[in-house]
Amino acid sequence: MSDTRTAPRPWFSIRKELGQRRRLILTAASFLMPVAVWMLVSYCPFIWHPDVKLQFSADRENVTTVFSAGDHVSKEYFPQFLADVRAENTAVLKGREDGSGESGSRYRRANQKLMRQMAPVAVANGWLTYDQAADDVSIYKVWKGVADGTLKPNGITLSSENLAIVRRNWALMSALSPEFDARKLPEVPLEKLVPQGVPANPVYLPAPHEVIEQGYKDFTKVTDPDKPTMGQRFKQSVYIILAGFFLSCLIGIPLGVMCGTFDFFSKLFEPFVDFFRYMPAPVFSTLLVAVFLAHDAPKIALVFVGTFFQMVLIVANTTRQLDVSLLEAAQTLGAKHFTLIRRVILPGITPNLYNDLRILLGWSWTWLVIAELIGVKSGLTEFIETQGRWRNFESVYPVIILIGITGFTTDQILSAMRRYFFPWTPEASEKKRGPIGRFFHWLLDTSVYDKPLKGKTSR
Amino acid sequence: MSGDFVLPSYLDQSDAVSERFARISQRPVKLEVQGLGKTFQSTDGELNALKDINFKVHRREFVSVIGPSGCGKSTLIRILAGLDHPTAGRFLLEGKEVHGPGPDRGMVFQSYTLFPWLTVKKNVMFGLEVGGRSGTMVESEAMQWIDLVGLGRFANAYPSQLSGGMKQRVAIARALANQPQILFMDEPFGALDAQTRSQMQAYLLQIWRNVDVTIMFVTHDLDEAIYLSDRILVLKAHPGEVQEFIEVSVPRPRVPDQFISPEFLATKKRLEELIHPKRSAVAEELPVIRMTSVEDTVD
Repeated sequence: MSDTRTAPRPWFSIRKELGQRRRLILTAASFLMPVAVWMLVSYCPFIWHPDVKLQFSADRENVTTVFSAGDHVSKEYFPQFLADVRAENTAVLKGREDGSGESGSRYRRANQKLMRQMAPVAVANGWLTYDQAADDVSIYKVWKGVADGTLKPNGITLSSENLAIVRRNWALMSALSPEFDARKLPEVPLEKLVPQGVPANPVYLPAPHEVIEQGYKDFTKVTDPDKPTMGQRFKQSVYIILAGFFLSCLIGIPLGVMCGTFDFFSKLFEPFVDFFRYMPAPVFSTLLVAVFLAHDAPKIALVFVGTFFQMVLIVANTTRQLDVSLLEAAQTLGAKHFTLIRRVILPGITPNLYNDLRILLGWSWTWLVIAELIGVKSGLTEFIETQGRWRNFESVYPVIILIGITGFTTDQILSAMRRYFFPWTPEASEKKRGPIGRFFHWLLDTSVYDKPLKGKTSR
Repeated sequence: MSGDFVLPSYLDQSDAVSERFARISQRPVKLEVQGLGKTFQSTDGELNALKDINFKVHRREFVSVIGPSGCGKSTLIRILAGLDHPTAGRFLLEGKEVHGPGPDRGMVFQSYTLFPWLTVKKNVMFGLEVGGRSGTMVESEAMQWIDLVGLGRFANAYPSQLSGGMKQRVAIARALANQPQILFMDEPFGALDAQTRSQMQAYLLQIWRNVDVTIMFVTHDLDEAIYLSDRILVLKAHPGEVQEFIEVSVPRPRVPDQFISPEFLATKKRLEELIHPKRSAVAEELPVIRMTSVEDTVD
């Protein structure tokens, strides 16, 4: 609409609204910017990446800390790790050359274990399936293939240093047996593969594609039949919020309205409520579990405690903000007591009350997260907790985003519906509508409201 | 006033006017105020907002209340409407003492006070419905009042869609629909622009002529008070006391041309004397430095 003007309006003008299209662009940008930063950090190897993610690892003598493929070590520590392994290899070669090295059946067993260093490489390159990689016969073949060059790398390329090690080891191995035989392994120590790794971000920042893949897997596949599916978890979380919030409304709204209407109730209830709300709801969690025992009851109670006291005060305040001259006018028209509450106070405060409840509903998501951790953990939060503990952060992010999207969408829908619930508010007559607003405009017939000013007689 | 032209006394009344006042005084008394007083307790001590107010209003009379700001004219009206409590005295409506607000005394506020969630029609029906009536009768009755103020087309509009003047007409219709004994109006046109305001004054006179209603009208606009009223109750401030109850000598029916008639000007002069006793054209000479060239004068 603003684009029809000949002179282009500036993007930056103090306290002036931008046009519809520009607003849309900026809204999209506000979501795309964080995603872009995330992608930049994840996919540009030279930005940040403080860790090395091991493609395969190696055990060290006399060191209890064991790393395996997929583990993260810091960039600073990685060279030290490699140096340790190389030092061991040098000692092995030296012993082999000057004949000072030991030999014996214990090295045969050690070598069988050492052989399995190749397993993650074989899986990553697609040479073996995950199950085959546990089988020494198959791994033995991989050593052969790598040494004679028949297996081509397709994922992890072994360094020339490691290729040389593979060939030297295979020379010793093949001399005894072309096929795997646990009794026909070298009885002198073999060299270890020197660990290889790629730059990586810390485990707590998985890349977008990892999050999306894992999210898809978590939301669609049932991994453990004893555990609830993500859909069931979501339903349970929403149920707890809605139940807690509904109970809170059921008592909180009438009490708030009474406090806002009669000074008697205000002075009787509000001081204690005001005091009580400074005690954070989570401090009552153990108490609530003791009172309401297991299952959902203590959780619903926690959401209730979290929202109820705020609600009473907010509703009371909203009620007090109602223009007192409306009450006076109603009184001069003959309204008294209950009629005043029912016909003036209640309809007068509902639009603001609606907004209050929208904001309170947003808060109750906070209480939900705490509520789901008390007693028997449940719902979406239990999933986040468990996965987070296993450091599966790519599973955690989709759930966090799901909660965000649910809250945001609910709020947007409620906000868009406001003008249809309250067609008489001045905001409702403004013709600014988002996509959701247009949908509701189409859904609900507001022609009754639009007509009179278009000059049609209403009688 | 200079020259040959001498303004008559505001007390001079033509025969028609004095006969009319004689007729009015024969009518039954609608409202009788006896020794009404209001004292506010503040931190500085007591504030005497109203003191010993006595007057009578007859049926179908149009009485205005004027006075300097802070004289308690709004307080007086609010007490009479039952929205405030007097600290002394009492008032009788048709000979009966009343307490608290009620549908027998209508009120129109400066701030419109229409219920924004109700359409024009529902707003007008409000008083009838809380009075325990319902059905199509109430609806058609409400429509009659809406038509009376000329807003039939807007019966289904919400107040937020109306202009200030239209809102105030709805407020008047809403108050009249209850058919109150007396209608109090507290600076009802104060928030309107000059043109709408004079239009509304004409509307109000028309309505008053066609409806059996007694009106008490608070204003700070002297022209408005003279143009509309039969009698003007002039209050003074600190404490709020009755200074004079003036009979307006301007004959009825009133038309805007009368704004420059001798009776009108005489009454206005008197009111100005009462309200601004020590009046000077410029309160004090402002210490202004000349910032334009001498030739460039506005006179």
